[in-house]
Amino acid sequence: MSKKNKEILAFWIFRILSFLVIGVLIWIIEFIFVRGWHMLNWEFLTEMPKDGMTKGGIYPAIIGTLYLVAGSMLFAFPIGVLAGIYIHEYTKDSWYKRFIKLMTNNLAGIPSIVFGLFGMSLFVNTLGFGDSILAGSLTLGLLALPVVIRVTEEALISVNNSFRHGSLALGATKLQTIRRVVLPMALPNILTGLILSIGRVSGETAPILFTVAAYFLPKLPDSIFDQVMALPYHLYVISTSGTKIQESRDMAYGTALVLVLLVLILNLLANTLRRYFSKKVKMN
Amino acid sequence: MQKLETKDVHLYYGDFHALKGITMAFEPHTVTALIGPSGCGKSTYLRLFNRMNDLIPNVKIKGEVLLDGKDINKKISGMRIDELRKKVGMVFQKPNPFPKSIFENVAYGLRVNGINHAGFVEERVETSLRQAALWDEVKDKLKKSAFELSGGQQQRLCIARALAIEPSILLMDEPASALDPISTAKIEELIYELKNKYTIIIVTHNMQQAGRVSDKTAFFYLGELIEFDSTPVIFTNPTNSQTQNYVTGRFG
Repeated sequence: MSKKNKEILAFWIFRILSFLVIGVLIWIIEFIFVRGWHMLNWEFLTEMPKDGMTKGGIYPAIIGTLYLVAGSMLFAFPIGVLAGIYIHEYTKDSWYKRFIKLMTNNLAGIPSIVFGLFGMSLFVNTLGFGDSILAGSLTLGLLALPVVIRVTEEALISVNNSFRHGSLALGATKLQTIRRVVLPMALPNILTGLILSIGRVSGETAPILFTVAAYFLPKLPDSIFDQVMALPYHLYVISTSGTKIQESRDMAYGTALVLVLLVLILNLLANTLRRYFSKKVKMN
Repeated sequence: MQKLETKDVHLYYGDFHALKGITMAFEPHTVTALIGPSGCGKSTYLRLFNRMNDLIPNVKIKGEVLLDGKDINKKISGMRIDELRKKVGMVFQKPNPFPKSIFENVAYGLRVNGINHAGFVEERVETSLRQAALWDEVKDKLKKSAFELSGGQQQRLCIARALAIEPSILLMDEPASALDPISTAKIEELIYELKNKYTIIIVTHNMQQAGRVSDKTAFFYLGELIEFDSTPVIFTNPTNSQTQNYVTGRFG
């Protein structure tokens, strides 16, 4: 084969493989849209499930997922960002730093069901939070923590050292340098990572299985010590272990669609926010 | 008393002996050029004066660096590192304005040192931009991002930024090496002007530049100070043959 033909062949292999990936994604989305689209209406989004979860809406599951996402971020965001700052800005390159990074990476590699079991053992039982929003949020937060740390670190790495040196040379302290120069520059990337990790957290089932998720609970929580329904678990329940699986098929596709839309919207939001902030950062 | 001097300073990066016993003194209101081939230690030497070498891991410094007679590396002489850096400003090789407005870039040094009084800050920003010969070009767009300026303007902004906290010494690490000839000429003119108020030490690879802007020139080679004399002497009648070879372009 001539050099030129090899080039053409390679190009087409790469092109076909990328189209395959895009194709699978479009296929999944199309599959869910076609089957779930007719379920999307106001009633579905704002009402309690009825008749053994074959009718009504998924309102409590949507609200439950939003609570869990908010709770987990409230926990993971500050701790993760501060840890990321500590690792990148304050630790010197040593076995200590490598150890922290290795452990963070390992934490990211732990299967989510293990987080679920750990959360049940620590938050639900030992600390006595019971099956609750608090226990579920903390467990999901633990899962998101390594992602937030990594994203923060990467965002800080991408800030050129010349900005740090410029600030320090003007008599700024390290903390002032981080607060006034480094963080504003890293913020767009940190936010993007944060929102992407929200996308992941909102779709997780295993960590909430033993810590918060209710099988059927047609009411909104009163406090952080209440159980809630959540979209991914609700989807699992009505597709596999409900009493009338066949009749709740439509409900399942509707739920799946809402979950996918939620994640897609969050991703779009991440992009918009990043653009907005990277413009803003240059202006201030 | 000398404004700034070093006495037998040695600097090590780990095992590498980067500065080998440098003793030098700088007089107020003069421009001193540090020249020498890459890796000769001139930039390292420059960074001694505002302790930027401290940011590099495994650096060991021996000997004395004296500012107005006080050893800046000793904690007991009572000079905090941020106090030192207020007195010793620095301009870097590549323009590094912050991603902030032109105004806030110049005001930054004041703000981090706790000066926030609006009238005072405005006045100081204007004075500094005038000193850096940038005021006329930017006075109508102070709120615009500093990134919208050209490379040469950005470098003058960085000079203004350094001047805003009124240092007495200005360190310049190849300040024009990333700039076009016209911007370079402007920076050189500026250095000449600034000499009246500041003691300036400039690292440069450009021999003509050293000849044009400096009163005294120091030639470094392999971590040693080979020769230090008035600029005309270094360029026309150096004592040392290595200096002679370098300034005439026979090596380096």
